[in-house]
Amino acid sequence: MISERAAFMTQMVEVFTSTVSFGERLNNMVHLLARHLNLDLALYFGLDKARETLVLNISSEGPVAPQQRLEFALGTGLVGEAAVSRKYRVVHRYQPGVAEVNAVLEKLTPAYRTLAAFPVSDDNFLYGVLLLMDREDRPITPTERQNLQLVCLMLAGTLRQAIVQQDAKKRIAELSVLFEVGKALSSTVDLDELLERIVSTTAKVITARGAALDIIDSATGELRVSSRYGSIPRECPPFCLYPLETGGAGEPPHFEGHALNAEGHTHYFLAVPLTFKGRLRGTLTVYDKLVPGGQFASFDPENRQLLYTMAGVVVNAIENALTYQQVESLAEKNERMVRNLTTLQEISQVLLSTVQQDRLLEIVLQGLTLEQGLGFTRAIVFMVDEETQTLKGIKGARRVDEPFPSFQALLAPPPEPIVVTDWEIPIRPDQGPLALTVLRKQSFHYRGKEPGVPASLLEKYAPGEFFVVPLVVKDRATGVIVVDNEDSGRPLEAEPLHVLQMFANEAALVLENAHLYSTIEANNRELLLIRERMLESDRLAALSSLASGMAHEIRNPLVSIGGFARRIGKLVDVNSPLHGYVEVIQEEVSRLEKLLREILDFSGENLSYYGDYELSKLIEDTLILVQRDLDAGKIMVVKEFAPMPRLHCDDRQLKQVFYNLLQNSVQAMPHGGTLTIRTQQVERSDGLYEAVAFSDTGGGIPLEVLHNIFNPFFSTKDYGTGLGLAIAQRIVSRHYGQIEVNNEMGKGVTFIVTFPVAKYCLVKGTAKEAVPEGDSMTSSGGRR
Amino acid sequence: MKKILVADDEMSIRLLYSEELKEEGYEVYMASNGREALEMVEKIPLDLVILDIKMPEMDGIEALRQIKQKRPDLPVILSTAYGEYRQDFATWASDEYLVKSSDLEDLKAVVRRHLQEPSEERPS
Repeated sequence: MISERAAFMTQMVEVFTSTVSFGERLNNMVHLLARHLNLDLALYFGLDKARETLVLNISSEGPVAPQQRLEFALGTGLVGEAAVSRKYRVVHRYQPGVAEVNAVLEKLTPAYRTLAAFPVSDDNFLYGVLLLMDREDRPITPTERQNLQLVCLMLAGTLRQAIVQQDAKKRIAELSVLFEVGKALSSTVDLDELLERIVSTTAKVITARGAALDIIDSATGELRVSSRYGSIPRECPPFCLYPLETGGAGEPPHFEGHALNAEGHTHYFLAVPLTFKGRLRGTLTVYDKLVPGGQFASFDPENRQLLYTMAGVVVNAIENALTYQQVESLAEKNERMVRNLTTLQEISQVLLSTVQQDRLLEIVLQGLTLEQGLGFTRAIVFMVDEETQTLKGIKGARRVDEPFPSFQALLAPPPEPIVVTDWEIPIRPDQGPLALTVLRKQSFHYRGKEPGVPASLLEKYAPGEFFVVPLVVKDRATGVIVVDNEDSGRPLEAEPLHVLQMFANEAALVLENAHLYSTIEANNRELLLIRERMLESDRLAALSSLASGMAHEIRNPLVSIGGFARRIGKLVDVNSPLHGYVEVIQEEVSRLEKLLREILDFSGENLSYYGDYELSKLIEDTLILVQRDLDAGKIMVVKEFAPMPRLHCDDRQLKQVFYNLLQNSVQAMPHGGTLTIRTQQVERSDGLYEAVAFSDTGGGIPLEVLHNIFNPFFSTKDYGTGLGLAIAQRIVSRHYGQIEVNNEMGKGVTFIVTFPVAKYCLVKGTAKEAVPEGDSMTSSGGRR
Repeated sequence: MKKILVADDEMSIRLLYSEELKEEGYEVYMASNGREALEMVEKIPLDLVILDIKMPEMDGIEALRQIKQKRPDLPVILSTAYGEYRQDFATWASDEYLVKSSDLEDLKAVVRRHLQEPSEERPS
């Protein structure tokens, strides 16, 4: 007996300590018990989660079929009583009331005689009740009772273990979910990627069909970003901004609901808030919990708890990512700014390397199109043509694919020019953004929506989106720069527009400088030419003077020699050999005289070039030539120019007149003074005259020399040819004008030059009486 | 006999002109500068003056001006080596402007023309 009991206990302990699942262990124990006690049936009723009902879980006859499901409420039947009293009870069918209260048991064993119920519990919990049934009236011996109580303790222990293990498993599962989430969150700071991971991980751990994460902008309350994973039923609200319900006692706030779709299936959703520092930042939502068999189910409190825990974890990660994103975008912005400024500075430096407009344009275009520069794909410079009031394409370039190794690449010519020289846009408000940019002096971001890009431009250049910025110098638009990202498809951002405008200002300035420089250069060249011409004419005058002087010296003796030779010829007999000698002398003298005449004709002859000129302009031009002398002589020039019509004259000759008069004035004031130049229109009885007066403060001309000043070769100076005023007078008289001298002794001299206006037509210095006054006005009217 | 004054600082020219003009039947006086010429114009009832331009003491232009003040009727011929100023000198109140030449036929013709009877028309 003892050995039998020992064997049973040994078997029991073996089962108890076996590694099979708890359910299997319980099964085995119940079976073993039934066999050992030689009982018809041994059953285990487990207390359900609600702790209200005891449900048949295990039967010694094998698996419990659904139709065999039996249950007792606590306190009802033998099972219920044993559970409440926590004491074992043994009853027999014949006893009163037993059959009634346990009637359901007849489904299993209709002819039972004995029932014994043993509560399965430990010090803390009741887990269930062990029920033994037999078809005979039999007692439970004390040994059997002891054994049974022992078995019940083992069952309780096993159940306890199972619960503990299940709890542990759940904890582990939860921890591993959180670990997964944490891992997912910490692996990236990229917001989009982070959100994607959050929703996918959430959906997986909740076993939901879909999940969504929505972040709102804390300032506006608007949806800022959202991320979706899996399948989200259309019937459910996509974004849960509704007031979140507070769950049951101890449950976190959440929003839960379901919706019926067209086919009659129910979809479920559950949303929990994402709160950071007490403020709602968004929601985490799961849709349709998946249960085995492809069904959807509603979410249980455990899911809510888990989702809530996850929300707490992810909100921090999202905050971090948002902050990081902000910091990153700020850093990027800063970096771009620094890069842009560096670029500008570098381009500026390169721009300073030249004043040639064409080279500058090349550098500008490179700065605009190079990756290291402003990085646009195409760039075109248009300049304003003041005369025609049009924008003309000057130069354009397209980005080269291979980036240059260094910024010094700016010094290389752009390899792919765009031919733009035939592009022309009238500067009128109806001529589209380019013309408007010039008119308004404002940059323009063309997005392909606004109308008005001229068809002529679109034919050659079909941009979807472009910037056009004005080149502004001293509040005047001198041109525009047009840039776009035609090939790259990269959108134009607002920020580079500022940089572009800064760049355009710089470019406008250097281009204007280059323009001024080239104008100055051209003016200098012209001045040099004029000066050379003047010097040439001075040289010619000097030569002329030399020739005249020589002529005088040579001509007189020649005349004497030739004249006396003729006289001798008349006295000598024609047949005498002397006559032949004299003839030789005469002929040679004639030849020399002819030669002299030719030389003098050449030096005295001036070809005339007549045109219509403003006297003030001619005076200004001439003043430049004597500027150095004026400066050196500390002579201040006062100009009082009246507006006058153009004069028909030979500009070179008149400049010579003014030059000579100015030289005269300069020489009259060796210790400095004031030279006043006045122009005036004078009406006389015989017509209109234009007058120029040169007044110096040189003390005047001594009376004894005054009447000589226009004589050729007369000079009071140690230098000069003495021809200056004579030549001036000769030229003036060729223009049918006059030179008058107004001498104020002790003060100064005024030379007044007057020219008749359009009274004569002068061709190559030959004067002809002009056509009648009226016709003359008509013929020259176009020039006035 | 018509009286002609030849004013020239070159002695050889004076000699040549006077020889030629004497041959033509004129009474010839000579001066070597403008001042002498002016003195002779005052002293002698001259019929014609031939003036050189470039002369010491007083040049032909000034002499011309003063002669014309004293005797506006007296024909004055400017005879000079400065051919290129013909156009300008023409306005200076001289009656003729001749560039000196070894061939004196032009000069003699001009002199003749000026000393003809006043009834005859002077070509312009």
